[in-house]
Amino acid sequence: MRRFTLIAVPYLWLLALFLVPFLIVLKISLSDYALSIPPYAPTLDFSAGWQGIKDLLSKLDFENYVFLTEDALYWKAYLSSLKIALISTVLTLLVGYPIAYGMARAAPEWRPTLLMLVILPFWTSFLIRVYAWMGILASEGVLYQFLSFLGIVDEPLKILSTNTAVYIGIVYTYLPFMILPIYAALEKMDDSLIEAAEDLGCSRMSAFWLITIPLSKSGIIAGCFLVFIPTIGEFVIPSLLGGSDTLMIGKVLWEEFFSNRDWPVASAVAIILLLILVIPIVLFQRNQQLQREAEG
Amino acid sequence: MNQKVFAPWDDPNQKPLIQFQNVTKKFGTFTAIDDLSLDIYEREFFALLGPSGCGKTTMMRMLAGFETPTSGTIRLSGQDLGQTAPNKRAVNMMFQSYALFPHLSVWENIAFGLKRESKDKDAIAARVEEMLRLTRLGKFAKRKPHQISGGQRQRVALARSLAKSPKLLLLDEPLGALDKKLREETQFELMDIQEKTGTTFVIVTHDQEEAMTVASRVAVMDEGRLVQVATPADIYEAPNSVYVADFIGDVNIIEGNATPDGDRVRIDWAEGQPAIWGTAQKPVASGERISFAIRPEKVTISKEKPEDRRNLLEGEVIDIAYLGNISTFHVKVGNGQIIKAQSANTRRLANRDITWEDRVWLTFTETAGVLLEG
Ligand SMILES: Nc1ncnc2c1ncn2[C@@H]1O[C@H](COP(=O)(O)OP(=O)(O)OP(=O)(O)O)[C@@H](O)[C@H]1O
Ligand SMILES: [Mg+2]
Repeated sequence: MRRFTLIAVPYLWLLALFLVPFLIVLKISLSDYALSIPPYAPTLDFSAGWQGIKDLLSKLDFENYVFLTEDALYWKAYLSSLKIALISTVLTLLVGYPIAYGMARAAPEWRPTLLMLVILPFWTSFLIRVYAWMGILASEGVLYQFLSFLGIVDEPLKILSTNTAVYIGIVYTYLPFMILPIYAALEKMDDSLIEAAEDLGCSRMSAFWLITIPLSKSGIIAGCFLVFIPTIGEFVIPSLLGGSDTLMIGKVLWEEFFSNRDWPVASAVAIILLLILVIPIVLFQRNQQLQREAEG
Repeated sequence: MNQKVFAPWDDPNQKPLIQFQNVTKKFGTFTAIDDLSLDIYEREFFALLGPSGCGKTTMMRMLAGFETPTSGTIRLSGQDLGQTAPNKRAVNMMFQSYALFPHLSVWENIAFGLKRESKDKDAIAARVEEMLRLTRLGKFAKRKPHQISGGQRQRVALARSLAKSPKLLLLDEPLGALDKKLREETQFELMDIQEKTGTTFVIVTHDQEEAMTVASRVAVMDEGRLVQVATPADIYEAPNSVYVADFIGDVNIIEGNATPDGDRVRIDWAEGQPAIWGTAQKPVASGERISFAIRPEKVTISKEKPEDRRNLLEGEVIDIAYLGNISTFHVKVGNGQIIKAQSANTRRLANRDITWEDRVWLTFTETAGVLLEG
């Protein structure tokens, strides 16, 4: 009985905070737009009992999903989100790996401090940090002033409101999610493996490719997913740092909800986004599983 | 038979494979290796023995190229190794932790070094098969290191370091992780492999028995210096210092004042005790303070007083250590010093005639012990 209670708690949690909201969103996505409060129809009539549920179900349809395929905006936004997420993930990896490597190589007494520095930005609000980037990247912002002081540029920067600014924002925000799993993998690695590789005829460089990279593979994969998955649905960074041509599904979703107040279409967009995300999430889980097995 | 004995270190025409010439290694202000000179010859099985922290691993790491000497030179086949990188040396090392690549199979681990030489595929495969046969690992070729036992892992590490046929193979406490029985088996395997391949082995060990078993010569180290370099028999029978005598095996040390008498030396070691007679290996000054070292198995113990013995001590048995095949008797002699005597247990335990608190006589011949300075 106690065992059952223990298992039941997380399931109830999932039910209340994931499954129920999901079902509500799913239901809205199958409804029609209406000028009312809430802005969709039909709504569930509790007083009618079973008959009410049957009536409701009979009025639901896939109209909104069909609409999504008809307007090119939506699939372009999905594709563009995937592209931006993919490029950001690669960029974050390129920046994050050397940092994680340097941390793992640092003297052991320095490592807790370095780890702290990586986590430190989380102590201020994400929104404030993105606003700070607006100040830095603005056409005559901090970066411009610094560069013109050095005499490198002489006309205002054109970074803010472009995809470049979005990439900078994403790499900056998600860097710790890349660094931490890679660092964890590298830190576990035995230094004598590199010495053994050199002893057997490897140069420093080839020892890195043949030993260090493969042994940090699980960390790289975990880090990439941890960046890729939330980036696809990212909304704040493209809204604040991106321009009018920055197309991301998170932004479309937001506009659908709050500008157009078309909840049914917005819900359909959200459901499709969720389905797209299921694939990398499953792959991520599998990677974690394999890693646990390899260690166990 | 006699001229076939392997002893290149006694032959002035032999060129050493490795030469340490006044090598010093400092870590900051700490001197790990102190002005050390040493020659190691081809086909030798050379053992480095010494207490923890005496610099054995540091010597290996300098040979492999992971550390460079602070001063002095190390030569391999007459050539100064200098700053030569580890991957450019004809030296391979078997690591104490084995350092097997966890993401590669046994086969790929062994092939790793060969592939770096960019040999053709068939040659690599043939060599790996040969190594697998030599170390009896054929069945495990496809497994990953974490899927095999500790003893098998150790053999993979050995196969991997042997695969490139190095001129010199370094083994840093290779058998430390194995249980006694497996360790003994592997020692003989190592000797066998060394014989078959003709590779020069340098082995580091904590275990003096292991060093005595496998090595053609043993170097005993202390605080970054070599105390004695000799064959196992010489190290045991003719240690050059109390340190070595004490470090290798069990020993009784009796200190006293020497009086030379022909080729014999009389040692007065305690008031009211009969003097001990030993044999001088080198001239001893009259009245010099010396130590007489004798191994317990060279001391005979009996209940009856033997006749015609010059070295004769009387005492009382205070402890008996029963080790199965032999027993060690701890005998307190006149001045309170404990002297250990060993005898083989040819009879069963119940029939033993010497027991606790017995009065016994200890005897040994005049050539049984060695005289050491200090
Ligand atoms: N990188 C280093 N920095 C500072 N001191 C070191 C370093 N490497 C070794 N030492 C010191 O040098 C001395 C010799 O070390 P070494 O590892 O050679 O000992 P060892 O004889 O192999 O000991 P053990 O039998 O315990 O393995 C030790 O006192 C050690 O503390
Ligand atoms: Mg060591």
